[in-house]
Amino acid sequence: MKILKKNQLDTLWERLARNAELYLPTQKGDQSGFFSYKTLKPEKDTLMLDALNVYLSPKNIVLPQTEMMYSFTHQGQEINLEEVYEDPTPRIIFGLRSCDVKSIDRLDTVFFTRGFVDEYYRSRRENTLLILNACYHPGPNCFCEAMGLSPRESESADIILHDAGEEGYIWVANTEKGRELTGNIEDILEEKEISYPQPRPFTREVDYTGVAEKLKDMFSHPIWHPLSDPCINCGICTYVCPNCYCFDIQVKTRGEEGYRYRCWDSCMYGEYTMMAGGHNPRETGMERFRNRFLHKLEFFTERYGEPLCTGCGRCIAVCPTGINIIEIMEKAKGVEPSA
Amino acid sequence: MKDMTDQVKEIATKLLESGQVDVFMAWEKGDAPHQSKPFFARNVADVEKIIFDEYCIHNLSTYLTRFRDGKEKIAIVVKGCDSRGVVRMLEDHQMKRDRLHIIGINCPGMKDPLEAMKQHSGFERETGEKGLAIKCLQCMQPNPVIYDESLGEIQEPHFKGERFTEVKALEAMSSEERYQFFSEVLSTCIRCYACRQVCVACNCRTCIFDEAKPQWVGRETSVGDNFMYHIVRAFHMAGRCIECGECERVCPVNIPLMLINRKLIKDVDHYFGPYDAGMAYVEGGKPPLSLYKIDDPDDFI
Ligand code: SF4
Ligand code: SF4
Ligand code: SF4
Ligand code: SF4
Ligand code: SF4
Repeated sequence: MKILKKNQLDTLWERLARNAELYLPTQKGDQSGFFSYKTLKPEKDTLMLDALNVYLSPKNIVLPQTEMMYSFTHQGQEINLEEVYEDPTPRIIFGLRSCDVKSIDRLDTVFFTRGFVDEYYRSRRENTLLILNACYHPGPNCFCEAMGLSPRESESADIILHDAGEEGYIWVANTEKGRELTGNIEDILEEKEISYPQPRPFTREVDYTGVAEKLKDMFSHPIWHPLSDPCINCGICTYVCPNCYCFDIQVKTRGEEGYRYRCWDSCMYGEYTMMAGGHNPRETGMERFRNRFLHKLEFFTERYGEPLCTGCGRCIAVCPTGINIIEIMEKAKGVEPSA
Repeated sequence: MKDMTDQVKEIATKLLESGQVDVFMAWEKGDAPHQSKPFFARNVADVEKIIFDEYCIHNLSTYLTRFRDGKEKIAIVVKGCDSRGVVRMLEDHQMKRDRLHIIGINCPGMKDPLEAMKQHSGFERETGEKGLAIKCLQCMQPNPVIYDESLGEIQEPHFKGERFTEVKALEAMSSEERYQFFSEVLSTCIRCYACRQVCVACNCRTCIFDEAKPQWVGRETSVGDNFMYHIVRAFHMAGRCIECGECERVCPVNIPLMLINRKLIKDVDHYFGPYDAGMAYVEGGKPPLSLYKIDDPDDFI
């Protein structure tokens, strides 16, 4: 088997960053997220490879929060397209967790299937290589397994690393792209047989089975009122979620020039469903709260066969009012049928 | 604080049972031991869930906007900072005094459940017990300024020292340095608007940032649009921020919002004061920048 010694990490990153934009899980000041290797300052920033995960998900790399679409000029009625900003820069995300790889899978499903391909997403995604850091120590809010994925395996990860402590990382090339990259850096890998680490069990038992079906009849259930009482519809949960993919398209013009861009949006916001005539079908915070959970746990599953939650636990850790998706699932399951 | 919980429950039972109030706003235990969450009891059976412990950090006065169009009588549990929020709501005519029954708790200081969650989530490399929340260490008013009944011993503020040290350091910078500073800190804002959602001064029915026709502030997460957001937000806080520190606490990317707020507090106090927002409720009273006089000495309007 191939081993990557930990003292080779710097060499590896330096090599990878020659031909691609490389992102590493890093604590930068007060924030943790996937930041570009080029911007890292070793004296100030801390690598988070040995932490469970980072606060800000890698979604921003394939679906930037603000993404330029095209620029134009116009004279009266006539509009000229100036530039289309598809971005095929080669990118490598190093040290992703399985929940985040799976969430990129879900984004693929949304942006590639059902008869429509989002070209902006495609140009980024097809040129992004994913290096998974397998989880052996799930955190207290982790429930990926319950959402149908393995913390140590993934079909979409191009390379999978298994942290074997002092011995280094076991390096597994998992896709064609991954094998190609491995070929280029083979000289820094070692050939040695070591044993895989022992995984620790999950601390919390979560069972998603039957939740989607259960929620089907719960749209008008009174339980949504007390459940949503604390929620301030701040939207943090949807912005940190690696799966939430909602965006809005906006335009800026100055004289005869302008550009169109898209930016993340969230169903937690009142403006999200505001219609041109002034009607808002989701007027209250409760309706928006309900939508978030129904979309993740019911609608998405009905449409694509899997939930729009990969169990990363971020929304649980960041919610300023203590809303917890696991608790929502448990409460939904506990509701009397046809109530 | 077990007996505090019991006292709050006792009051809640009394008020809900007698029908004196329809809603009792307090906290219940969250999913994790270091988590408490806002809870609205609507009947006596709900009362058993109520708690008051060191994680009841949320400023419940913000939630009063939910009830502003109704007729319900509301009991609300407030700490010192939150009570100033209630004054904010009253001054802004978002709530009538006679619809409220205010239970003031002289606050010993709270811990931040968000910090604790982060510590325990595995997203942080250094773990260990955190003490009081930053906002509590900076608190000037732990004892409620308005209440119908109060609980607990009068508390000394945790804040010692010079109140505007950081603001003064900011003022001492050259404008280039300041621009550099703000470009750096504001560029990471993800524009989730959580700071607005949690803010008791942000009680407008339609927020300027949600207006689409015209759109006053662009939605790009660029330095330009982020500056615009923070400048407009700052202006709207002048004379209105009650220093509960909730915006800074909930910000997922730690933008130093209280630094901006304190600069405004200092300026309002200096130019229009002495003034500290929400320190006392006077019926018909108006905060400095909520008042228009025909003989205003400034002619810029
Ligand atoms: S949810 Fe699963 S994959 Fe994600 S960090 Fe936790 S254990 Fe790892
Ligand atoms: S669930 Fe929590 S994080 Fe999400 S919008 Fe509501 S208060 Fe904010
Ligand atoms: S819903 Fe929450 S737990 Fe699920 S993937 Fe999104 S942030 Fe993670
Ligand atoms: S939960 Fe809301 S923000 Fe997230 S993808 Fe669904 S509709 Fe969009
Ligand atoms: S300052 Fe923080 S809370 Fe406010 S919009 Fe920016 S990221 Fe969100």
